[in-house]
Amino acid sequence: MTSERHVIEPITTSRKLRFLEDEQLDTLREATLDILENVGVRFHSEKALAIFEEHGAPVDRSSQIVKLPRDLVLKAMSSVPRYFDLGARDPDLDLPLKDGITYFTNDGCGHEVVDFETGERRASTKADVAMMARINDYLPSMSFCWTIVSAQDCGATSPLHEMDAVWKNNTKHYQSVTMMGEKLCRYGVEMATVLRGNLEEIRRRPPISLIACTIAPLVQDREALEGALVLAEAGIPVIIMSMPTMGTTAPATYAGALALADAEVISATVLLQLATPGARVFHCILHAWADPRTGGYVGYPLDARVRFAPVEIAHHWGMPALGGAFGTDSAELASWQAAAEVATDPLLAALAGAEIATGVGLRDTYTLLYPEAMILDSDLYDLARYSLLDMEITPETLAVDVTAKVQPGGHFLGEKHTRRYMRGAMVRSNCQELDAAGKYRDPAEVAREKVGWILENHHPEPPSAAEQKEIDRILAAADRELTG
Amino acid sequence: MSKQLFEDLARAVIEGEEEDAEALVAQALEQGVDPLACINEGLVKGIEEVGELFSDGTYFLPELIQGAAAMKAALEILEPNLIGEQRREVVGKVVLGTVAGDQHEIGKTLVGTMLTANGFEVVDIGVDKKAEEFVAAIEQCDADIVGASALLTTTLLEHKRIIDSIVEAGLREKVKVMIGGAPVTSEFAKEIGADGYADDAISAVAVARQLIGAPA
Repeated sequence: MTSERHVIEPITTSRKLRFLEDEQLDTLREATLDILENVGVRFHSEKALAIFEEHGAPVDRSSQIVKLPRDLVLKAMSSVPRYFDLGARDPDLDLPLKDGITYFTNDGCGHEVVDFETGERRASTKADVAMMARINDYLPSMSFCWTIVSAQDCGATSPLHEMDAVWKNNTKHYQSVTMMGEKLCRYGVEMATVLRGNLEEIRRRPPISLIACTIAPLVQDREALEGALVLAEAGIPVIIMSMPTMGTTAPATYAGALALADAEVISATVLLQLATPGARVFHCILHAWADPRTGGYVGYPLDARVRFAPVEIAHHWGMPALGGAFGTDSAELASWQAAAEVATDPLLAALAGAEIATGVGLRDTYTLLYPEAMILDSDLYDLARYSLLDMEITPETLAVDVTAKVQPGGHFLGEKHTRRYMRGAMVRSNCQELDAAGKYRDPAEVAREKVGWILENHHPEPPSAAEQKEIDRILAAADRELTG
Repeated sequence: MSKQLFEDLARAVIEGEEEDAEALVAQALEQGVDPLACINEGLVKGIEEVGELFSDGTYFLPELIQGAAAMKAALEILEPNLIGEQRREVVGKVVLGTVAGDQHEIGKTLVGTMLTANGFEVVDIGVDKKAEEFVAAIEQCDADIVGASALLTTTLLEHKRIIDSIVEAGLREKVKVMIGGAPVTSEFAKEIGADGYADDAISAVAVARQLIGAPA
């Protein structure tokens, strides 16, 4: 049923790169606490406001702004777990969060696709989600699966259909980028229960998690938060993601943008902890710049410091972090810009120590899918992964005896040691394929062939017939209730 | 008895076991086995298999070189023991060397190994060799091909001096000239009047065969 390849290869490294000093982290935290206590955050949710009121936070019902006292924040934050597991459909692919391991996924959530067969640029569909989930399942670079594009042909219940499409084609952990609202998320929990049997098992090995976005500056979206509350209660991890744009929705200084975004993430995290102490929450800031002339969204100017500094801010709070990598502004599949803008991202995300990181495979600032892009971007990922592998220094690998045997001016091709190690000494990437003349082929052409091969040959085990029947029943019920 | 020995010899070449190959041919000579049969039924069969495994991507360079080294070690013991007019069948004779002022050896050595593995007799004169030393070696061993290698841009023009010396010695009609090395291009080879150029050791064999009209 399946092709043989079924492993994941996360980036592991014992090395760390610091973007912020401890003192700076303390200063940033003080700024966050100041914003939370004195400026406040607007929660467009009666449910959220009630929870805050219940815990003694000053709530202004007319503006829906909550001011979070320092002590309340610090107490609530003390119950956030630092490490836990993300479960997968296949237990062998569960992801235990650990220091020194970064699990990557694909990008999300695009809305346009350059059709693999016709080359036509069109709106994304459930079939695209299914196709890309299968490619994700095949690639060891992908430790879990994000909603890469939206199933725009499925209406209001598209997030549930996206999950269905992923499960039929992917055996890894699924992180929904689109599921919002209490009703939809309750159906999501019901679908997760089909895989796990009961809520206790969901808590032990959550097969799904959710991205919930804030609205900069300092606003919490009702649908995102109320959905997150449902999932958190069920033991399903939630990623609170702030996406401030410097100059328009955030201060035009890095420190200011970070403090503001952190206040958004922490205010939502506090809410989840007050509602469900111990709720599993990831911290994420994916900031961008506003073009100073047009105000347009720019994801990739030259400086990437603030892209990875938030990982340290998360860890300073005792939270795991989602690092934001990839997502070039180039609309081209394989241009210099498309590779160069994101080339150091996986390296920096891993060195910063992000527990999970997104995401390969989209172009045009997270909006446009070329099916081949996931293959090409995986090469950049692999470049980082190999660069961070520990080097083995032993008498066998030092091979001083072999060097002595060869002597100055000789060569090593005649040595058994060379025979033993030369095959593994050099690794070419997925797209570094040679032609008959021994020259490198066009990487985009190689990527296209690999996509074709995966789609033809890789068939991950779908949910069982009984599970699928139950999932179909839930989908039909959701369609009836929510599509209207 | 001999059949098993030939199979073991072929296996030693295929597995690149130089010491095994030497021990086996010593044993063959002691037992009075025909040395030419050892070459043709054992060593050649082994090196042909090595060539096929390399061509289909199973073998890499170390396996190829070590197979050729095992064959060469066995040949050095067998050839002095060939009986009467017996001669090993060779595709052609090649003189190889690195040009004057250049100490780089590996490229030329690889070409020599590949040619040997493919049935050529190779006389490797070493590195930093003047044009007249190439000419002397060609005359001495009656070579069909001379191969010169240069890695440095500063020694590149030595190739031209070698060709000029071959012309002066009146050997140009008799010997084909191949050149190679990192700064060498096919255009440069044509420009200085060389007969052949190859990018790497593998394609050098095909070029050498073509130059002397041997079947591919």
